[in-house]
Amino acid sequence: MALLNVKNLIAGYGDLRILEKVNIVVEEGEYVAIVGPNGAGKSTVMKSIFGLTKYIDGKIMYEGSDISESPTEEIIKLGISYVPQNENVFPNLTVRENLELGGYIMKNGREERIQELFDQFPILQAKQNDKTSTLSGGQQQMVAMARALVLNPKLLMLDEPSAGLAPDLVEENFEYVDQIRESGTAILMVEQNAKEALRRCDRGYVLVQGKDRFADTGKALLNDEHVRKEFLGG
Amino acid sequence: MVGYYNTLREKVQNDRGTALVLFGLAILLLDLIFKLITGETRSQIVATYLWDGLVIGLAIGLAGVGLSLTYSILKFANFAHGDMITAGGFSGWVAVFAVMGVGRFDMKNLLLVGAGNPINVTELGISVSTTPIAILFGLVVAIIGTVLLTLLIDRFVFRPMRHHNDGIALLIASIGVSLALRYGLAFIFKTQNRGLTAASLTASYSVPVGTGSVQIDLGEITLVLVAVVLMVCVHMFLQYSTLGKAMRAMADNRDLALITGIPTEKVVRATWIIGGALTGAAGFLITLERGTISFQFGWILLLLIFAAVIIGGIGSVYGAIAGGIVIGFTSTVSLIWIPADLANVAVFSVMVLVLLYKPEGLFKGVTTA
Repeated sequence: MALLNVKNLIAGYGDLRILEKVNIVVEEGEYVAIVGPNGAGKSTVMKSIFGLTKYIDGKIMYEGSDISESPTEEIIKLGISYVPQNENVFPNLTVRENLELGGYIMKNGREERIQELFDQFPILQAKQNDKTSTLSGGQQQMVAMARALVLNPKLLMLDEPSAGLAPDLVEENFEYVDQIRESGTAILMVEQNAKEALRRCDRGYVLVQGKDRFADTGKALLNDEHVRKEFLGG
Repeated sequence: MVGYYNTLREKVQNDRGTALVLFGLAILLLDLIFKLITGETRSQIVATYLWDGLVIGLAIGLAGVGLSLTYSILKFANFAHGDMITAGGFSGWVAVFAVMGVGRFDMKNLLLVGAGNPINVTELGISVSTTPIAILFGLVVAIIGTVLLTLLIDRFVFRPMRHHNDGIALLIASIGVSLALRYGLAFIFKTQNRGLTAASLTASYSVPVGTGSVQIDLGEITLVLVAVVLMVCVHMFLQYSTLGKAMRAMADNRDLALITGIPTEKVVRATWIIGGALTGAAGFLITLERGTISFQFGWILLLLIFAAVIIGGIGSVYGAIAGGIVIGFTSTVSLIWIPADLANVAVFSVMVLVLLYKPEGLFKGVTTA
């Protein structure tokens, strides 16, 4: 049984349909990337899984149960965390406060979990009492990921984690994602930087106009002539 | 201190507007010193203005904290805030009158309901000095009453509108609530101004200043002390409690709060409870200090409260306090130079100056913290 199984999902905003029968599977501990042109609905897939869009039809199964129409707060409790692309930290709060709020629904063990994340991202420990808006873009992205990891999710969804980062930080950011994946968390990632994402992930999907046009291992997609020509710039 | 001096110097170098304002303030200060030396203004007058300014400033600041809190978290300017202050005042005083006069006076008159026969407040004998327990009881009732009222209004008016996420619609609805509340209060309590405390019983102290003295009464001292304590409590709550942090997080980014798993409706309710409590306390303390109450005192204050919140930087709790104090001092200290009828002109001129030269307010970007 797959951790996440999205079947023929149709979803959108209001009267607008963005996703037209999307199929995506994420196995336990797997690293899955969604690539594709602008406006294909990549981010909408994640928002739909997280209960933030208008569900129209299809199924979203998580650990065997249907979460197609579950509210966001229920989905968080089931072990899915989501890092949006923009405005993904609380800028006027300190780094530590961002992480504390990431664990708002935890009954106990929050401090220990924050310490674990500080060990994983030492720079955040050094800056824990700084206002998050004073951190660099790369560090803020780290805060955003750490905030989503406080609950120790089984599935972490990352929306364009490398967008807007300086080139040398993009590489570093991908390495952090590898590191998170090694700790056993499954990752579903949307990336603009398609080649790098496909090189690192287990499997990938190419999303075009709200449909999954290609699905294969990352390496196979990188080597696929159609995918290369149409979506990876040759 | 040196660092502060340096930033001040930097500001003056970078910003001609600020320089102009500081220059104006320096001239006024020199003129004041000159006036004090020549004896045109006596030091006791200046001290009285400062004390009165502090009292007015803290009252407006306390009332402004609630407004700023709901603004930053719920993202709309609540025009019903002034009438919630009035409601807080009435609920507290009804409670005080009821416990003080039960058995001695007709209950209908005690509850201030209708025109009736006005209670002789001197005979009732309420004052902070002689009946502190009754006053404390009134404060608690004012707080609880206003909290219940705000929760009720939120449940039936603001909450059903909230998912549209439309600040303008909420603002207009709040104007409707404001009118309904004000004339509801006028219907129950009628429109005349009512005396509350027996001024002759309120202890008053003379603090010697220069050749004269400043009169400070216990009602004012109570307002100052309770306001400061409540402000410190709000600060501690926002800074150190998980719920307070969640409120600041929501002020920062409501959508992110939702996807972080913060129960946003619960935080909204907490915001109304805390905002309502501060509003009720402000309504009761202001009427305690004045010794009178009328159905529209909160509405009249609302303009000054908005000015305070704007001067401080809308959305910032500390800004509301600072803005209140700026307004308090301006409204009194300006009387050294201008007639009393123009005090509000001075206050709103200060607001316009702040908007011109520091449009984000004195506490820029410090949302609720």
